[in-house]
Parts: sequence; structure tokens; C-alpha cells
Amino acid sequence: MPTITFTQPTGEATEIAVAEGTSLMRAAVTNGVEGIVGECGGQAMCATCHIYVRPEFADQLPPISDDEDEMLDCTTAERTDASRLGCQVKMTDQLSSIVVDVPSDQE
Amino acid sequence: MSATNAPAATCPFSGDTGTPAPSSENLRDSVVPGLPQTSAGVEAPVADWVTIPDLYADPFPIYQRMRSESPVHWVPAVNRYMVTSYAACHEIEQDEDRFSADEKNSLMKRSMGHSMLRKDNPEHQVDRDSYGSTLRPGTIKKHWNEIFAANNEKYLGELLAKGPGADFVWDYAAPYTAENLRLICGFHNATQEDLQRWSQTMIDGTGNYADDPDVWDKSAASSAEVDAAIDEMLPLLAKNPDNSLLSGLASLPIPLEAIRANLKMTIGGGLNEPRDVLATTVWALLNHSDQLEAVKKNPKLHATAFEESVRWVAPIGMYPRETTQDVVLEGVSLPQGSRLGVVLGAANRDPEVFEDPEAFNIFRPKKPHLGFGGGVHFCAGTWIARAQVAQIAMPALFERIPDLRLDPSAVSVDAGWVFRGMTKMPVTWG
Repeated sequence: MPTITFTQPTGEATEIAVAEGTSLMRAAVTNGVEGIVGECGGQAMCATCHIYVRPEFADQLPPISDDEDEMLDCTTAERTDASRLGCQVKMTDQLSSIVVDVPSDQE
Repeated sequence: MSATNAPAATCPFSGDTGTPAPSSENLRDSVVPGLPQTSAGVEAPVADWVTIPDLYADPFPIYQRMRSESPVHWVPAVNRYMVTSYAACHEIEQDEDRFSADEKNSLMKRSMGHSMLRKDNPEHQVDRDSYGSTLRPGTIKKHWNEIFAANNEKYLGELLAKGPGADFVWDYAAPYTAENLRLICGFHNATQEDLQRWSQTMIDGTGNYADDPDVWDKSAASSAEVDAAIDEMLPLLAKNPDNSLLSGLASLPIPLEAIRANLKMTIGGGLNEPRDVLATTVWALLNHSDQLEAVKKNPKLHATAFEESVRWVAPIGMYPRETTQDVVLEGVSLPQGSRLGVVLGAANRDPEVFEDPEAFNIFRPKKPHLGFGGGVHFCAGTWIARAQVAQIAMPALFERIPDLRLDPSAVSVDAGWVFRGMTKMPVTWG
């Protein structure tokens, strides 16, 4: 099973094993990963599953759709080149062992 | 995390350009949707003291008492279980396998047809996808904002022309949101007054628990008018497409029955809800002068006030779900086929989540409210509402009428529980 590591701003990391095809958002919400809300259930409509993907995985990610792009402009934490919506990234063999950072909730 | 190469785009709603800010606090990690519930729960207490007239007048003291007793009650007057805690409402929203939207004997299905709001996936997603990008932020920014601004200018002008003592809801918020909705839907063969009549009569049907034949007649008449208007518009928009919902639907292989039901649902939710949020938000600000002054000084706070208003008085206060199996919800056992009311109006004032929850306070810590629903049925019109109310209407309103205030010689009335908003709001200025 591929794994996802969610790293919190505190440095605390959670590794989760998930089935292929599971989105990062669904994996986080199902396992109670702090800082990922996923309010709209994965339709790229609410921007509450914002994550930062570590650069070494960048070229294995699916392209950013127009829907995701416009929603990333509405994230609460700052958007960077590493920003993605967790609901739009589904686990594949290529992404196995992916590491992502959860946005900071510090002022 | 470096922001050196961050894209310079601006969120069209908050105006944020990527200032580091706290992310939404996670309130959901105690909830694990989809896991089988094996432990037996307790039976739901019976709230036989709850009456519909009391709920209509002011549901919030009732919700306070219910939440303090149990997250779920059987309420004989409403003939369903009412779910009032944040955790329980959120668990339902995120788990459509156990909590179906496809309610049996649904009044909404009778009034409006079987829309996406009462379908589960995969059927729901086909309908939802058929709305395309019409309601999404990109189209709003490129297309709708300019139209909303022109409509706002027109109806603010009419409010001013009517003079002090005019009603904020009926002389401004209702026609403004109705005209916006008319164009979003693509009803170029109808008026905003038609949209208001259709919306109210079909919503009355959706809430016709008393089975009043007159209510059904009016609802059916509006439903037939909408069908005729859609039949006329589809071929016209197929030839001359625009950015409207009907235009997008005209070229899709979606059954006419689904188009009709979805448009009727949209007429209901797309008019009363933004109308009510606009009026409730302005009413709350006019009653809290310190918060009003803060909003006037910092335009970014329009969006904050909007969200706080949706939390404080969710315009859709309750919606139905039905259990597909025996479940234990927050310790309460519910048999298969139980009819539930998910009471967002109560969840959004749960003291377990929100400090001093009964107060309207735009300065409260940001936490996710449930006012737009959640999961696959998350409100499709969320961004349209944010744009037309918080981005277009409110800033222009306070600029054009800086001394707007509630008319001290007349009473404002807030009412309702399934749907809640201002039914009377006389204002004055000058």
C-alpha cells in the first residue's frame, strides 16, 4: 500500500497507508489528520484541504485543473508553488511515500 | 515554506493575496466517517415540548435546551428526529452511505421534482456536474460580478427613490437577488418578480407539512410556469449560448426531468438564501455599531461579516436525511429508515465549538461553520452568494448610504427555522 506522510507545522508527522486511488484529502479526513477539513467532500469547491507538496514529488503530480487553480487563490494560508488541494491528488504507485506539509495555523 | 515564487493571484472574495494566516482549525478529527458503529446507543429522548410556532418565532433557546440534553431528539411536532450538535450534524454530512439524501415521501420532490439535492451518488454527481463552471469563482470573476454590480446599482437606486421607511428586504434585497438569479439561470423570458413568486410558492410546497391544498395549488402552478419557461429557453440558448445554467444544460445529454427539478431547486435556494443572508448581515451590523464601523474601515471585513452571519443565523436552518441502516449517532441509536432533520441552525451555535455562540461577533476566532452544508451536497451556490452579497452589495450599500440605520419608528422582524431571515426590516437614512 502506498503511504502519505502529513507533516504538521509543529514538525509532528503522521504516516498513513492508503489504497491506490484514495485522495490525500480523504486519507487525512478519515484518519483525523489535524488541519485538513475537506468541507465540500472533494469537489474542489471549498479550499479547506489545502496542502503543500514537497518539491521532490512535484513532477509526479497530476496537472492543476482550472477548477483547482481558481480555488487555490482562495485558500486561507498563503498559496505557494507547492500548493495543491488534497482532494485533487489521488494516490498512485508513482506517488508512493509522498510527503506533504499541512498549512500552519499560527498567526 | 518559502513564498518567494508564489503566484500573485488574488482571491476575488476575500481580497487576500496570500498573506500568511491561520488555517481553519480542525474540529473534525473526532469524527471518523464510514466506520461501522458496533456499540449500542441509547434511545433518543422525546422532545414533546417543542412546537412549530415556537420554532418559527425563535428556535435558538429551544436548540440550546435540546443540545444540552442530547445531540438527537425525537420531536413529535416535526415528526422526525432533530439532530442539534455540531459533531452529529457533521458526521451525517460526511457519510452519505449511512445517511441518504434520497428521502422517501419527500415534500420537496412533490413540490419541485427529484433534484440533485435529494439524490445520492453516483446519480447526484451527474446532475451536479451538469451545472459546469457557471457557479464557480472563475466565471463569477470574469462574468457575473459586473452583472451583479449593475443590478445592485439599479435596485439600490430604487431603494433610495422609495425613501426613508423603505423595507430593506422587499424593496432591495429580494429584487436584487432575484434579478441576479434570473440571469444566472438564463430565464430571459421571465421577470425578477416571476422568480420571486416561483421561489416562494415552491418553497412553501417544500414546507407544506400541513398538506394545505391551496399551498399545493400555488406550488404546482409555479412549477408548470417554470417548465414552460425552460421549454421555451432551451432551444433559444442552444442557438445563442451565454454563461447561464440553462445555456450549459441545453447542450448536455441530461434528461429534461432532471433539468426541471434542478432548476426549481436552484430557484428556491438561489433566491431566498442570498436575500436572507444580505438582510440578516446588514441587520446584525446595524445593531452592532462597533462592528459596523470596523467593516466600513476595512473592506476585507465584509467577507468576515458574511461568514459570521451565515454561522449565526443559517438561512437554511434544517435539511432532511434518512438512515439507510441501523446506526448509532453520537451515542444515540436510530433504526433504519429514520427521518432526520440536520439542524445546522443549532450546530452553528454549539458551545462545544464556538465560544459565546449566541452572539454575533465578526471578531470571533475563525472556525468552520456548517451553514453551507458539507460533503457532496456542499452548497453549489456558495461562491455566488459570497460574491453578490459580500463583494458587491454590502460595500456599495454602505458607500451610497453611509448613515443607513434601522427605522426607529417601526419594528424589524426575524422569523423562521427551516428557513430563517428578516420578514420585515424598515430602514431610514438622512
